[in-house]
Amino acid sequence: MPNARSILISIGFLSAAIIAFQLAIMQILSIVQWYHFAYMVISVALLGFGAAGTCLSIFRNRLLGRFELFLPLSMILCGATMAVVIGISQLSFVRFDSYLLFADYSHVWRLLLTYLIFFIPFFFGALAIGLVFVKFVGQIGKLYFANLLGSGAGGAAALAAMWLFSPQELPAIISILPVISGIMVMPRKSRSLLIAVALSVAIITLGITHPPRLILSEFKSLTKTLNLPEAKITLARSSPHGLLQLVSSPALRFAPGLSLIYQNTVPAKKALFNNGDWFGSLISWKGADLMDYTTSALPFALGDRSKVLVLDAGTGMDVAHAVGEGAKEITAVEPNSVLISILLNELAGEIDSLFTHPSVTIHNVASRTHVLADTSGYDLILLPTVGAFGGTSGLYALQEQYMLTREAFVELWQRLRENGVISITCWLDYPVRNSLRILATLVEALKEQGIEKRSDHIAAVRSWGTITFLVKRSPLSMQEIQQIRSFCEQMLFDPALLPGIEQEEREQFNKLQDGRLLGYLDEILSAEEMDLYSDYDFNIKPATDERPYFSQFIRWKSLPHLSGLFGSQSVPFFEIGYLIVALTMVQISLAAIVLIILPLFRIGWKGGNKTWTVLYFTGIGLGYMFVEIVFIQRFILYFGSPIYSAAAMISSMLICSGIGSYLSAKLALVGKGLLAVLTVIILLLVLYATALTPILKATIVWPFGAKLLFAFLIVAPLSFFMGFPFPVGIRMLAEKNENEVPWAWGINGCVSVISAVLAMIVAVELGFLWVMVFAALAYGLPLGVNWRDLAGL
Amino acid sequence: MQAVAIARVLMGNIIISLIILFCGSSHLDDPYEALRENMVLTQMARRGISDEATLKAMRTVKRHLFVPQKYIGNAYDDGPLPIGYGQTIPQPFMVAYMTQIIEPEPNFKVLEIGSGSGYQAAVLAEIIDTVYTIEIIPELGERAAARWENLGYENVESKIADGYYGWEEHAPFDAIMVTAAAEYIPPPLVAQLKDGGKMVIPVGSPFLTQVLMLVEKNGDKITTRRLMPVRFVPFRRSN
Repeated sequence: MPNARSILISIGFLSAAIIAFQLAIMQILSIVQWYHFAYMVISVALLGFGAAGTCLSIFRNRLLGRFELFLPLSMILCGATMAVVIGISQLSFVRFDSYLLFADYSHVWRLLLTYLIFFIPFFFGALAIGLVFVKFVGQIGKLYFANLLGSGAGGAAALAAMWLFSPQELPAIISILPVISGIMVMPRKSRSLLIAVALSVAIITLGITHPPRLILSEFKSLTKTLNLPEAKITLARSSPHGLLQLVSSPALRFAPGLSLIYQNTVPAKKALFNNGDWFGSLISWKGADLMDYTTSALPFALGDRSKVLVLDAGTGMDVAHAVGEGAKEITAVEPNSVLISILLNELAGEIDSLFTHPSVTIHNVASRTHVLADTSGYDLILLPTVGAFGGTSGLYALQEQYMLTREAFVELWQRLRENGVISITCWLDYPVRNSLRILATLVEALKEQGIEKRSDHIAAVRSWGTITFLVKRSPLSMQEIQQIRSFCEQMLFDPALLPGIEQEEREQFNKLQDGRLLGYLDEILSAEEMDLYSDYDFNIKPATDERPYFSQFIRWKSLPHLSGLFGSQSVPFFEIGYLIVALTMVQISLAAIVLIILPLFRIGWKGGNKTWTVLYFTGIGLGYMFVEIVFIQRFILYFGSPIYSAAAMISSMLICSGIGSYLSAKLALVGKGLLAVLTVIILLLVLYATALTPILKATIVWPFGAKLLFAFLIVAPLSFFMGFPFPVGIRMLAEKNENEVPWAWGINGCVSVISAVLAMIVAVELGFLWVMVFAALAYGLPLGVNWRDLAGL
Repeated sequence: MQAVAIARVLMGNIIISLIILFCGSSHLDDPYEALRENMVLTQMARRGISDEATLKAMRTVKRHLFVPQKYIGNAYDDGPLPIGYGQTIPQPFMVAYMTQIIEPEPNFKVLEIGSGSGYQAAVLAEIIDTVYTIEIIPELGERAAARWENLGYENVESKIADGYYGWEEHAPFDAIMVTAAAEYIPPPLVAQLKDGGKMVIPVGSPFLTQVLMLVEKNGDKITTRRLMPVRFVPFRRSN
């Protein structure tokens, strides 16, 4: 029998590996697909835990009977499978492509296969933890502590490892921990376990020395760029911000929406990609004249813009443009510190030392954080281009875009000088969505600032492919209106919105078959915008901090109409990103039922507390996951990165809930005590739903370390109390009828798996506030059952 | 009204089925001919493609020979199909629509940027004396060239090169089809377009082309027009 210390350390290591592995998968999915799929990864991990619980319930005696074999074996298998699952998921017959899910249905099965493969290490890891908890139930306090400390450390360690190792190396590196855990608790003379260790070490060594090649979707911009002649990756840097890669090719050019009047050569330039997505071209400020031939040049057509703020500056194309236009003071904000570092060092020559130009100051912070912290006024605020040429097929529908919300636009407005302007360009799409939502969001921001004649402050100019909106703090003067007209005439662009605009001047050079774009723009500026919002086939209401999904447009009820217009085969390509959530929800729910619930029928369900068990464990499972997912989403704005947010929230919640669970045993809570805890949770959720946003905004400007600590403190009380209901419920049930305990585990596991995905859908459809409300209602579910029967109040 | 509409659809389907049955029994050497005929009827003629030359070309070109082996069964479906390298063979309707837009004549000189599977060039080659086509991805270009050769399309001239520069030796062109469009329209292509010529650029993601961009050059004046292949219906339910 392993000693207690070995057990504790091994549980700590294993727990750390499980959390770190979740974050590694999120990072890898961001690279090979288009999104981190945090909800899916959490869901798969929970599936592993749920299935392990069921397995433990059914084979409890057999597993405990050979504890000394099964404990180390589970740990070793957890490590070994961690090292190989990424490689297996990249095999040609397993690899799924988000883009092809709705074009080649074999990818639907590949998606299912992918999360069944990812499920395996979580299953073995959870089995080992479960075995220890059941075997040493008397020392559950210490074990919980080791589990939680490990989980917390795992999040931090994963972030640190992302700086040191490439994403494909991470799983093998992480997998060392479970194998060490296994070695620590294995009997010295077990030949079979020694063989297992030897094999695992061999697999891990191979994983580290020959990490699997991550094969990106063939539709990702990096993959397409690498198809160009002589294209090669000449630099790569990994960090929690993503995998930055520099590509060069003599055929790689970038001139977004270039005017047809431009007759010079479009030069080939190197370009940077982050996680396989286009990040920006490296252009020198000495050669930025090309940008003068795009609609993005509109603000400079109105005269000098001396003080400029460039948000999410990326590779600095807008910064270069502003320098070329003679701006005196340019503040560039970019959250990716690795990008800044390479632009200041290795790639400085490519951009003629743009970021050390005397007029440029670079700030390494999230754009929204900078806007809230900065008190200066600007002549021009530039936002990055929205959308992509040809559209993105809605792959980014679930991306939280906190710079494109009503609240963000209000904050930008407040940073403008008297004659200052906000400029934002977006690619024209059809059916029109991006430009309508941009205008709608701008209009809402102006309304909030009490601007009554909003049309006097807004101009928009359209080329063959892009539309640039300009919002001016003071009304546009006659001279400025004339300058915009001249700019359009010169560049073959058309004014789309302008005070006093005539209908015939809106389609001089770039005609629209569907002239309704202009009608819709007018309608948003009129008092009838609500009619358009409610009647339009797509959701074009302004994005808010509560629903920061700027690129999510699909309305379920419009699908039949769109299907009739474009054909049912085409419709999914309007918003693949969101439809994947629905698909995941169906697949993972089935997997949860098959792997967690169905096996429990083997042991049957005897007992009279079925309603209580179902409602109680459904409620607390649903509530917990809704809170965890909504915290991750909300804290993305706070930390400026989904990976940081996921690491901080998962770790903090586990630590605090674990302490709560531990104390619940000490306090021997039952009946009234538990009712009080549930009531506290509900009250705290109501408090968080109303007070969290202002608290986060007030402290978002703090240094990163302080924010991390503060986030922990915010999450702590709620998570602490949320740690109580599960162990208390299990104990109450066990005292009454032990036969029902596996069912309680199973129901809770199954609901948790589904809830992680469901929370995402509720967030998109109704907003974060409603996720919190549903979480509170879920915790209220157990209050509606007959408690007297079970415990006696 | 709804019942009448349903009856019409049913009648239409019965007629199509009969045509397929008839064609299927009379052309056993080409089992896909009936599917092609059905494609032209249901996906093109009914959606407003009326140019006889275009319809004839769509009937003639064996689309199933331009798709990867695993998708042969779907070759005549109403949608694009992946051909590798992040490229697709466009929806049949889009190919017909683009062909019709340029109003092709036999003596036209047409340049295609992005040969892809080679299907669009083959359709054009049924109507036009010489089609010029450029593909930047060697593997795709070579595959397409082999298909044209096997199918006897001697009037397709192709090269593997960067489409940015167009094909100056054969310029000016009556029409240019930029089927592999980028975020900008290369200035050399505008320059190589004949006065009065048309440039067509499909704009959309690989599996959903919603808009065709038509660039027209008249003297110094260059205008663009966004064309929606989907018959215009407002995206507002109250309308």
